[in-house]
Amino acid sequence: MMNEMGKETEGFTSKIKLRKSKKSQKKAVKSLQSPQEQELLSQSLEDNENKFRSIYKDCSDVVIRSFYIGGKDNAILIYIEGLSNTQEVDDSVLSPLMESSGEGNDQVKSLINKKIPVTSVKEVKTVAECISEISSGNPVIVADNQKTGLAVGLAQYEKRSIDEPQAETVVRGPREGFVEALSVNNSMLRRRIRSPKLKLKSMKAGKYTETKIVIAYLEGVADPTLIEEITNRVSKIDVDGIMDSGVLEEFIEDDPYSPFPQFLETERPDVVTANLLEGRAAILVDGSPFSIIAPITIYSLLQASEDYYSRFLIGTAIRWLRYVFLLVSLLLPSLYVAILTFHQEMIPTTLMITVAAAREQIPFPALVEVLMMEIAFEALREAGIRLPKQVGSAVSIVGALIIGEAAVSAGIVSAPMVIVVAITGVASFTIPRYSASITFRMLRFPMIFLAGTLGLLGVMLGIILIIVHLASLRSFGVPYLSPMAPMKFNEIKDVLVRAPWWKMNTRPHFTGEYNKSRQADNQRPQPSNGGDE
Amino acid sequence: MIEKGRISTGQMVILLYPTVIATAILLVPGITGKFAGNDMWLSPIWASLAGCITILIMAQLHNRFPRQTIIQYSEEIIGKIPGKLIGFIILFFFFHSNGLVLREYGEFVVGNFLPTTPLVVVIGSMIFVSGLAVRGGIEVMARSAQVFVPIVLFLFILIVILLIPDLEPANLLPFFEKGLIPSLKGAIVPTTWFLQLFAITFILPVLKKKEGGMKWGMITVFLIMVTLVLSNLFTMLLFGKLTPTFTYPIMEAARYISIADFIQHLESIVMAIWVSGTFIKISVFYYVIAVGTAQLLNLQDYRPIVFPIGGLLAVMGLWTAPNLQQIQHFLITTMPFYAVIVQIILPLLLLIAAVIFKKNTKKIN
Repeated sequence: MMNEMGKETEGFTSKIKLRKSKKSQKKAVKSLQSPQEQELLSQSLEDNENKFRSIYKDCSDVVIRSFYIGGKDNAILIYIEGLSNTQEVDDSVLSPLMESSGEGNDQVKSLINKKIPVTSVKEVKTVAECISEISSGNPVIVADNQKTGLAVGLAQYEKRSIDEPQAETVVRGPREGFVEALSVNNSMLRRRIRSPKLKLKSMKAGKYTETKIVIAYLEGVADPTLIEEITNRVSKIDVDGIMDSGVLEEFIEDDPYSPFPQFLETERPDVVTANLLEGRAAILVDGSPFSIIAPITIYSLLQASEDYYSRFLIGTAIRWLRYVFLLVSLLLPSLYVAILTFHQEMIPTTLMITVAAAREQIPFPALVEVLMMEIAFEALREAGIRLPKQVGSAVSIVGALIIGEAAVSAGIVSAPMVIVVAITGVASFTIPRYSASITFRMLRFPMIFLAGTLGLLGVMLGIILIIVHLASLRSFGVPYLSPMAPMKFNEIKDVLVRAPWWKMNTRPHFTGEYNKSRQADNQRPQPSNGGDE
Repeated sequence: MIEKGRISTGQMVILLYPTVIATAILLVPGITGKFAGNDMWLSPIWASLAGCITILIMAQLHNRFPRQTIIQYSEEIIGKIPGKLIGFIILFFFFHSNGLVLREYGEFVVGNFLPTTPLVVVIGSMIFVSGLAVRGGIEVMARSAQVFVPIVLFLFILIVILLIPDLEPANLLPFFEKGLIPSLKGAIVPTTWFLQLFAITFILPVLKKKEGGMKWGMITVFLIMVTLVLSNLFTMLLFGKLTPTFTYPIMEAARYISIADFIQHLESIVMAIWVSGTFIKISVFYYVIAVGTAQLLNLQDYRPIVFPIGGLLAVMGLWTAPNLQQIQHFLITTMPFYAVIVQIILPLLLLIAAVIFKKNTKKIN
């Protein structure tokens, strides 16, 4: 029936659909709550107390403390151990209330204003509201003969202190990284972008975890349709829990079957800031130090924040180094196999003799040799990450000495092969994003197979496959290969070179269309000439 | 419309350029050398006229029927049954030419680089890869072309620069020893390559901007002409009277390269990069066949028939001729007439019919 409606009603119906899906979303989340929780707080304290005791049955961390306001009115205070600042609860809630001269049936409002010296105090009306406040660490006070309770904003919990990001280190540039606590991450962003145009839109996902998710963007710079699209996709999620931004990513990406990451994951607030300024949006998930940024292109994954902090000529050179080693990490082993198996004539004679002499004792064909070594290398790398740090060095000793030295001298693999594998390994670590470097490392294996069966032609077919896939990929509507394909000449400046800052006057085409101009023209420093005379 | 994607005029050029160049650059120097002798560098200039005529006819038809391909408007011009017949002839022609291209590609790879690999594996793997691109749609093909064409061009320029010291200008002399006739004769076979720009009829309707299609089509013709003149000139200067004896003169030239006695025998790399150009060519033809067939049969979507067509293409590639010599014979003798009939005379008749019957989309709406 919907299809038969005219085009004009299409937008309307889709809105309805959207609303409906939101409703069913809420239902799905609420269905977890018992009917008890949807009730309003009752007049009688005894009822309320019984309710909370049954809800928090067997929750050993929940403290329900009864006390008297001004020595006569019964009341209870509920909080979760470790989520609230108990010292403050004692000083600014319990003691003023207990010591207050009993003025009889003070209404809740006057209680807030007169007795509780805390900035954030909120009235709560339903049991469900109380529970959500308690879970987020705000102690709730329910008094006898009162229809509403009080939630006091004294949440305070243990969190990791701000640290240097582990996965993205820089020589020059800010050294602080996100932590697991969302509020701290928000504050780091706010400290960097003070304008109220920085919006931190809050959402929730996860039936049981009720994880807080924040969509950060710059109003007036980011395309509103992008924000709407992200909000839509996030609100459609209906799962038990979101453990990390990596889980969220899988639910909202464009092509779920692609091996390529469609979000930029970063621990660095400065990277998020730079991307927000280019019109992108960042998604922060409570409990994860990694924020994810969308939409991105493949080139975002190959840029390190330091490119933009060092001199632009150096930044450009480093960027090219990275491109070259990206190709090396993807292609070197397969080229080695292809040339050794199919195209020996390409190797200069003297080199050929050296390689042939080294391979004389080796019982395996080049393809098997490469696969063995590459898999061993990947295993070493993985073991190095998983092992406790103290044992980590043992892995590198085993890797370098046993596999490198002993395998060659035992005549199981050839020395040139070890060199190839080592260079490939180093090359893959030059890619600044872990998610991208692991993708290229894994794609290397099918490439080796293609090289072993069809030689250089196989390698080329593999490259064509990858490029075709990349060309069909989009991240929130932005073509993954842009600005190379589709070509945008004036944006190549941020891909082939790192243009000096005073030249980057416009935002990238696909994300900055909404607000093109980034800065004033002609900002190249032009020092007045002192002259020698 | 079946195709939802839209591409820019620049992307059209970058798609059509390798569609002609990919195989032309391999075979044209050898074939023109046979007929034109040392005036062979002139032949592509004459041949490019055919390209201009095709583009002109297709652009005129496109103006009358924007957002439609020749398969669709031939039905509107001359009625349903004859229109379908013409559509079928055109599609079969593309089917046959793509079979030929696949076979040329397969013979080239097997003959020069992978002598023990079965032809069907080489052809089949290429069809699979192109099929994925075709399924992705015109946008994906255009973007892939934007990645590969600069690499192919860079390679071509690099070969030319590295071999400049070996060139022998005296090979060009004497000019016009036998008048203009040999160079005109040499132009006949390259004509068939320029006529392949006929595929523009499937690209014009998916352009983002309506205007500029013809202008950029002509620019494509010019770019192809320049490239072929350069490659002919280059092989002539390098090999002189030997040129016609090679099947793939440019590849022979790549074999010549030797830098510091260390980097040598680059032909495998040249082959690998050339394959990316051929991939674009095969994909464009493949796309034309898939979309054309879907339009001929009034299908909603062309994606489901892409891989079945791929299977038929593989068979066409294997059965079209017993060996490369037969293909070359076919290209030199039959193909020019075959191509001119399907790609110039047929659309020209359609255009005349459209003018006489005053048919265009606006009137029908």
